[in-house]
Amino acid sequence: MESELERLRKKVENFPSASLYNRLAELARNAGGNDEAEQVCRRCMKEFPRNGQAYVILAEIESSRGKRDDALKLLQTGIERDPRSVNGYMLLADMMVFDKDVPKAIANLRQVLAIKPNDAAATAKIAELEKAHGIAPSPAAAAGAAGKSSLGNEPLMPFQGPMTTAIKASTGSRTATLDALCAEPGVRGALVVDMHGRVVVTKNLAAGQDELLAALSADVARSAQAALTVVGIEKLSTWALTGGAGQVLTFQRDRAFSVVVLADVTVRPAMLELRARQTLIDLGAA
Amino acid sequence: MNDLLQQLNRVRGVGGTMLVSGEGLVMASALRQGTDENQLAASIGNLLEGTNKICSNYQLGKLAAFNAASELGGIVVLSTGPAFLAIVIDPSANLALLQLETKPFVERITQRLTLAT
Repeated sequence: MESELERLRKKVENFPSASLYNRLAELARNAGGNDEAEQVCRRCMKEFPRNGQAYVILAEIESSRGKRDDALKLLQTGIERDPRSVNGYMLLADMMVFDKDVPKAIANLRQVLAIKPNDAAATAKIAELEKAHGIAPSPAAAAGAAGKSSLGNEPLMPFQGPMTTAIKASTGSRTATLDALCAEPGVRGALVVDMHGRVVVTKNLAAGQDELLAALSADVARSAQAALTVVGIEKLSTWALTGGAGQVLTFQRDRAFSVVVLADVTVRPAMLELRARQTLIDLGAA
Repeated sequence: MNDLLQQLNRVRGVGGTMLVSGEGLVMASALRQGTDENQLAASIGNLLEGTNKICSNYQLGKLAAFNAASELGGIVVLSTGPAFLAIVIDPSANLALLQLETKPFVERITQRLTLAT
């Protein structure tokens, strides 16, 4: 255990990444080093604020110290920053069960199923809670019992936490800056993000989805710049990722604002770049 | 694998190549002297973590390619089955042409890696 810890400590120092921090924190905690684990989690939260697992580990530590309110706040912040944190929702559900707030516990477990449709632990726990508290099984669970499982089709609800990161523009003139870009065939949605990953303007993206895309694209931009720096290249201006069923393109201006476009895979990036640059100019003028 | 990377380095606009695992570990490298390949691989590992999150959250399918560019050049990361090929590109590179010229290399690397696993 000691050697593994040492190895990880060195690796985290040289090549810090969210997953390495998580592993180091877990190992340190398992070895009885709650203080070291806390330090690792806090450092990770500073460097990788969207990594929900660090919040979960720290919440577990605070909970074991009897600081339940702090643990709850950490979990809420963690889920808000990383809305797909399955472990965050699971722990939150456990805390709700402890507080005898069964409906909230079930709601959190359903969020787990919205992210991970076949999560056996969450499914079993919902069934157990419903049975123990005489709650009628949901239609989804009933369908599952009849052999046509529809559990896992739960919509992911936007999390209402203590922290609000979006600074969406309230005027129509700003949202209009994305009209031309979103009118292009194949463009599913777009948003403008500031340098901290906060949404400035958004169009055609569902509530919650825009903030998540803003946060993730800011993370990707940071990693891309880190990779470019290693090969001696500064000032990232654009990045694009292409998947089998769609693409995301980002164009930056003076590092202050970025336009993030979610589009079909058939859309030509060169054409979008023109529209995105015009959007940035319009936004600057606004 | 190094032979393929060396050949790829001869394509116009290519300033170095590296094969990286999804976890950000170097599998083979033909980068310019002085480039810290471990650091680059680790950064690409972080990058892949973020891009995969975007792909899964927005139903974009499996990551096929990523490119980051600036006026001074850029990096292209291409999926090669179980690993990723990172290509450092010079500012003079023609991306469309580069994509065409690298395609056979990507196919051969994918083939070799698939056979090896």
